[in-house]
Amino acid sequence: MNVTRRDFLKVLGTGAAASVTGCSAPLPDKLIPLVIPAEEVIPGEATWYATVCRECPAGCGMLVRTREGRAVKVEGNPDHPVNQGRLCARGQAAVQGLYNPDRIRQPLRRSGTGTLEPVSWEEAEQLLAGHVARLQAEGRPGRVAVVAPLVTGSLAQLIETWSQAVGGRPPLFVEPLAAHALRAANRLSFGLDAIPSYQIETLELLVSFSTDFLETWLSPVELARQFAAMRAPRAGRMGRFVYLGPRLSMTATNADEWLPLRPGTEGLAALGMVHLILSEGLGAGVPAEEAGRLRQLVAAYTPEAVERRTGLPARDLTRLARSLAQARPGLALGGGTVGTTRSATTTQVAVNLLNYVAGHVGRAIQFGPTSALGRAATYQELLGLVQAMARGEIDLLLLAGVNPLFSLPPAAGFQQALAKVPFVISTASFPDETAAHAHLVLPESTPLESWGDHTPWDGVHGLMQPATTPLYQTKPLGDVLLSVARRVGGAMAARLPWATFYDALRDRWRELQRRLAPATPFETFWAEALRRGGVWEAIPPKRVRLSPAVFRTTFVEPALSGSQDDPFVLLVYPSIFRYDGRGANRPWLQELPDPVTGMTWESWVEVNPQDARRLGITQGDLVALRSPHGQVELPAYLYAGVQPGVVAVPLGQGHTRYGRYAQGRGANPLALLPAEPEAPSGALPWLATRVRLTRTGRRQPLAIVGGSERQEGRGIAQSISLADLLRDHGAGGAARPGAAKDGADGHKAPPLYPPHPHPVHRWGMAIDLNACNGCGACVAACYAENNIPVVGKEQVAKGRVMSWIRIERFIEGPAERPETRFLPMLCQHCDNAPCEPVCPVYATYHNPEGLNAQVYNRCVGTRYCSNNCPYKVRRFNWFTHKWPEPLHLQLNPDVTVREMGVMEKCTFCVQRIKGGQARAKAEGRKLRDGEIVPACAQSCPAQAIVFGDLKDPQSEVARLARDPRGYRVLEELNTLPAITYLRKVQPGPLGS
Amino acid sequence: MEAPLTYARVDRDLLTTLRAPGRLYYALLAVDLAVLGWAIYAWRYQLTTGLGVAGITHPVMWAVYITNFVFWVGIAHSGTLISAILYLFRVRWRPPVYRSAEAVTVFALMTAGLFPIIHLGRPWYFYWLLPYPQMGGLWINFRSPLIWDVFAVLTYMTVSVIFFFTGLVPDVAVARDQATGWRRRIYGLLAQGWQGTDRQWRHYTSAYLLFAGLATALVVSVHSVVSWDFAMAILPGWHSTIFAPYFVAGAIHSGLAMVLALLIPLRRAFRLEAYLTPDHLERLAQLTIVTGLIVGYAYMVEYGMAWYTGDPAEQASFLWRATGHYAWAFWLMVGCNVLAPLGFCARQVRRSMPWLLGILANHGREAARTAARHPDPQRLAVRTPESPAVSAADAWFFLWFLLFAKTLPVVSLWEVKELLPVPRRDGRGPVQEGPAGRQP
Repeated sequence: MNVTRRDFLKVLGTGAAASVTGCSAPLPDKLIPLVIPAEEVIPGEATWYATVCRECPAGCGMLVRTREGRAVKVEGNPDHPVNQGRLCARGQAAVQGLYNPDRIRQPLRRSGTGTLEPVSWEEAEQLLAGHVARLQAEGRPGRVAVVAPLVTGSLAQLIETWSQAVGGRPPLFVEPLAAHALRAANRLSFGLDAIPSYQIETLELLVSFSTDFLETWLSPVELARQFAAMRAPRAGRMGRFVYLGPRLSMTATNADEWLPLRPGTEGLAALGMVHLILSEGLGAGVPAEEAGRLRQLVAAYTPEAVERRTGLPARDLTRLARSLAQARPGLALGGGTVGTTRSATTTQVAVNLLNYVAGHVGRAIQFGPTSALGRAATYQELLGLVQAMARGEIDLLLLAGVNPLFSLPPAAGFQQALAKVPFVISTASFPDETAAHAHLVLPESTPLESWGDHTPWDGVHGLMQPATTPLYQTKPLGDVLLSVARRVGGAMAARLPWATFYDALRDRWRELQRRLAPATPFETFWAEALRRGGVWEAIPPKRVRLSPAVFRTTFVEPALSGSQDDPFVLLVYPSIFRYDGRGANRPWLQELPDPVTGMTWESWVEVNPQDARRLGITQGDLVALRSPHGQVELPAYLYAGVQPGVVAVPLGQGHTRYGRYAQGRGANPLALLPAEPEAPSGALPWLATRVRLTRTGRRQPLAIVGGSERQEGRGIAQSISLADLLRDHGAGGAARPGAAKDGADGHKAPPLYPPHPHPVHRWGMAIDLNACNGCGACVAACYAENNIPVVGKEQVAKGRVMSWIRIERFIEGPAERPETRFLPMLCQHCDNAPCEPVCPVYATYHNPEGLNAQVYNRCVGTRYCSNNCPYKVRRFNWFTHKWPEPLHLQLNPDVTVREMGVMEKCTFCVQRIKGGQARAKAEGRKLRDGEIVPACAQSCPAQAIVFGDLKDPQSEVARLARDPRGYRVLEELNTLPAITYLRKVQPGPLGS
Repeated sequence: MEAPLTYARVDRDLLTTLRAPGRLYYALLAVDLAVLGWAIYAWRYQLTTGLGVAGITHPVMWAVYITNFVFWVGIAHSGTLISAILYLFRVRWRPPVYRSAEAVTVFALMTAGLFPIIHLGRPWYFYWLLPYPQMGGLWINFRSPLIWDVFAVLTYMTVSVIFFFTGLVPDVAVARDQATGWRRRIYGLLAQGWQGTDRQWRHYTSAYLLFAGLATALVVSVHSVVSWDFAMAILPGWHSTIFAPYFVAGAIHSGLAMVLALLIPLRRAFRLEAYLTPDHLERLAQLTIVTGLIVGYAYMVEYGMAWYTGDPAEQASFLWRATGHYAWAFWLMVGCNVLAPLGFCARQVRRSMPWLLGILANHGREAARTAARHPDPQRLAVRTPESPAVSAADAWFFLWFLLFAKTLPVVSLWEVKELLPVPRRDGRGPVQEGPAGRQP
């Protein structure tokens, strides 16, 4: 279409322009700008670069697909041990950071009038160097402070060396969601100041104390994959998952049981379980003497006492404790953000003790490879710096890509302290709240444009390389630091002799090579590392012993600010998409509906319906939340998944800057939190205050995606109990008579028309509802791959969201203790599609490979097909949507960009199918099973979606289509879909 | 009537409608054109910005545009019933009424035909729905009910237009004979050389009978085909076999209401009380009772079956309509379409208030279309930009009717004359009194 051609030319032009304006050094003017010149770059063929995702600290390996020099899609790196080829929605949205229309494009300096004016890199760096040199000359280098995000590897080393060379304070590497309490508790319990790795794949029982590991905790992609494997019914067994906590989070909806607790009492529940295990003698590997001392420590925590204080019934606690002790293996997880109270460390010590007495430390918990999160500076340390700033002790503050004005509670006084610093530099890539207060902004290149490395776990050395030349006049932080050091000169320059950060990186990797592969020449090692995305070492696990310090622990119930007039406990939880707020400027992460509430473009306060009724609050009412520390206004969302007396607010919105997508939306709940850190760990206590709610009398229109929560007997998302599965089909899972085959199934009357002949392939899918956890990575991947427009809040409110795949959430049972089922719904590519006969112009038809094809340039937009689709997966372009520059550079050139009036829907990524077929044909071979993977299947961290050729009896998808758990959605309509869903398995109550 | 009607009197009375219009007419025309202008502006906005401005929301993809289409095609049916079916049955009260009714048919079809184009996402490609020999050999999808619509409505339009202009021939000839200048030439063209000879009359009435027969079949078939737009879909609430007779009955019902709604002011405005007598209006009202009862029965069957099947989707669909967001439209529909026409059972009502009731029935029908055709009324948001469509359709239709009223005889001269006793050649009264019918 002319749109694509125009864009292609536009893109070539921009690509050429970018190569010229990229860096301060003039680059040769090439039509196809590349950082690593490749011998065979063919326009129309993609080049893939391995790098590391930096959207959160988990550090998943990433492959970036580039076309004609621009990054168009990111996928997981199959070789990377953390994510093994999968990527979450935040990772998929990394390209929207690169191409964000609100990026800072060149250095800025605050002028005399107070506005930020563009300035050259030369000037900017000279300015910074001048300040540093002056401070050194005046003998006050200690007044320089650097705050960076949690970086590791070469950049961390460089920042440390730079700070040392300046003579300034040691740099702080901060990460707001770094689980400091977990680390401190490990120090107290085991003498190890670290965060261990968790292996949950083979667990029999997983217990989570308010730890949302499928969303934002530690390494969600890795844990999601392991969790799905744990839940897969194998040889008649499957892992069970029980969640304890005050809120039914997305992670909790994937549990077999949610045991509500009073907020902040997770530690008490854990201690009660320790008490029970010890008192019943179930503590297998615990030496007798330790057991005695532990019994003394937890003597007060009888199940009845615990029930009184936590609300957890004694019999549930007993049942759970017994099962956890008997699980081979089992695990109790703690340390999640939402449960971090003023007693977070002792809470986590309690969980550690539980794991210890149940015998799981050293099995499911491994202290060999530890997480980089365990090396983040604590909130208390950052607070120390803020106090130093307030005292006027800091003359130069370098904020390297951190946004404390948003991510610290205002009560901490960062804004006031910042005003006392005479020279503040920010290296933010986006105009965030902190950059708005800086004197000098040196915009960093985004991770997709930069060299670097990241070691999220010991031994996992991920290597980052730029996938595209920098779009704007930005520089990587490492280059800036080296350049400034050079300008300062003297000893500082001598300590940092590298010309660019690339050189520093390579030097550090020389060390790695010497250690890991001394026989290999460095260039070979380097090239291989670049190709693979890093090098991985196996780190042996450490033996772990209980530390004597643990016996001195005093367990107290956490204190909460607020008085009798503040009836609600405030829960603040990180948003799966916006994380701590860093993702708020990516439009996909705003448009993706929250898995639990379905809300988009908004933040909200979740109120229990009973409380809401009592207060006269209806959904959408704007309520004011007030704590002793601050006040915010948020629309109310009625949710039975928060306990009465508890309100929950997601983190991540409430930006006052940060670009057009983030600004002016929702409210930042940090305004309600106190400033004091939790004592032993130095963590920010997220669950620390009570609030009062008052109606403001105003309403906020809400954009909620999703229809009914209830299936009303339609049998859309089905489940089967483990007992039934075993009884009917045996542990091996033989096909039941009449089980799904390719085509008509269970229908008594033969169809009127002969079935479609599929001479070569019939493409189909199998989606495992037992694996799908509702994370929405598939949706984000589809947006990226298929040029799906973002429509904005107003249009979402009208039901016009354009996603081709959506996660439907259904609940069964009472709303207070629902059984939740997530179902990815996309075009079913029905063999007997209702949409095909009704299109007057043949814009949709059944192609010989089983796809229901939509021909965009034939569609006149009668919309009959959408009316007739029972799955309602067809999306109509009500407008011609625009991609504000440079977001249009992200468009996949293999997929048409649709204009208004045209219907669209999932195509099973037909461009990938055709690409795969072309490749196979060019190589003169047949297609292999698993070679063609649509974007959704590719990204799913739980591996819930399988795609392949139903006509190939050996293919994975054909095997799954015959699975005894298989069924089709709305089968009774005789649409004969190509997608088989596998029923979710209910393991049955604990102890059975 | 005071003096007995003669042919000359008929000519004079019925051709006075063609005289220069007065202030009221120009006022009506001005308002009409203003509304139409606004509608054109609204449509241009929609064309350039996108169908999104029309307020249609997923998953309810058809809203006021389609319901308007169905409504106007329905209106057309009653005209054809009166002009064709009642002709075949030689109904005595038909002649004065039929011309306006047939005009309603033609103009309603012209109005209806706009909406399939307006509701398209890419209306500049509307011709892809027509079976033309395309370069790539790509024909239309004959399995699609929308294509059946194209054939049905175009056939109906063709036949109705031919029928209309054929029926006009003797009347236009009279007008031609009395006109001068350019008017005479135009009327002459339309009269196609009519001289009123016996031979011409013989051929003429044969042709007229043929078209009446063709049109009769169309009364039943066209709206059945239009109803299959819905019935052929698998949606609960739409997928029902009652739709064809239901729509046809409803079509005739609303068409009668439209005819009544137009004739009553028309007879006042043009002082045609002698021709469009209360008896004629009474007959139309009585027909409305019959069609209203059929429509009522169809509602009972449609919704009763929804309950009887026990299918949760069907029942939910019915409950949404009866008790949900648009319950007011549903009950308005039932009230206006079924209950209100029962008022015509009383003789006084039949003879004195038909106008009000006609309007009621009309709008009831419109509400019916909106309420009844939406499977999920909670999702339907009929927003402001769609209301120009409704007014636009009314304005467009009414414009043509206004033009028709002043350029062509609104009552059929020759058929009215057929009802009169045949005059003697010497002009001394009729040959015989009595019912119409030509003497051999």
